[in-house]
Amino acid sequence: MAEHAATLDAGDVGAQEADAGASAELLNETEFQDLYRLHARPLWAYLYRLTGNTADADDLLQEAFCRMLATRLTTREDGQLRAYLFRVATNAATDLWRRGGRTRRREEPLTDESAGAVHDREGAALKLDMARTFRDLQPQERMLLWLAHVEGSEHREIASALGLRAASVPVLLFRARRKLAGLLRKKGYGPGERP
Amino acid sequence: MTFRACSQEPDILAAAADGRALPAPLAAHLASCPSCREQVVAVTFLRVLAAAPVASHPLPDPSVIWWKAQLTRRWQAERAASAPIERMRWVELAAGFASLAVFLAWQWQGLLNLAARVVPAGVAAASSAPQVLSPTALMLITIGTASVGAMILAALHRRLGGAP
Repeated sequence: MAEHAATLDAGDVGAQEADAGASAELLNETEFQDLYRLHARPLWAYLYRLTGNTADADDLLQEAFCRMLATRLTTREDGQLRAYLFRVATNAATDLWRRGGRTRRREEPLTDESAGAVHDREGAALKLDMARTFRDLQPQERMLLWLAHVEGSEHREIASALGLRAASVPVLLFRARRKLAGLLRKKGYGPGERP
Repeated sequence: MTFRACSQEPDILAAAADGRALPAPLAAHLASCPSCREQVVAVTFLRVLAAAPVASHPLPDPSVIWWKAQLTRRWQAERAASAPIERMRWVELAAGFASLAVFLAWQWQGLLNLAARVVPAGVAAASSAPQVLSPTALMLITIGTASVGAMILAALHRRLGGAP
């Protein structure tokens, strides 16, 4: 865990144990439970969309919370903690991809249930198709798009989470959106139509 | 691919991300800008995908995560506390070798005399002077002393718990 901490951009949320100021504190169990109740499900959904694998999503979720628990936090503000958690989880996912096939599990085949089944068959098929389309993107593209457009992270935060230069983020985002639009077009969801 | 984003794109994407209706000038621009339309499709897709429920998979138990984190912290604290001891083992090993070198340099002549008495006459006779050892004898003594010293230090190091 310690070696990962060095790659984190602690920003104004987390301070490393070694140089923690007096105001930086570790979370206590109650605070952690509250935080978990609030953010675990959306974080898991993000990780599952990234990895396509429930076991990897579970592992990364645990890893993200463990890393957070090992860090003295300078804030208890929900929005900042959520952004920090997503950043830590993204770092952990990036580490997982860097380790490559040795430890990473294969993406699970998508089913109606894993895609988030809805009651009507047509809706279920559409959701399944959407999940598959998202999986056709590269992992970094998935991370970029999710952080920018679902989590609403700033370019600076995304750059820090993905180890990119902040100036590269808008360009990469533009290309990722373009690629996604291209994939959607191939599947018949052209510009002007709602997926 | 050259990066040429439309100047209206940030405003249009912000509206698309929030699901807001576009003001008339932006809507007019969107109708005439294929790049912006493409980008809006992607953002709208993401909004819909994020709203869709994912697999109804039970999340890991938070109390397990809590205890895992506590164990990891304790283990890291122990490692941090024992780090100076680990470093000192290497200092001890270096000091052992230095002591051996000093001892050999200091007692070299005495060791040679002692060896001259112990080494068989045939080996000593090979040398022209009776008090000076032959190169073979010198080499044997040096290798033997170094080996014994290294074995003692390695055993000491193992006993102290360092790497063999």
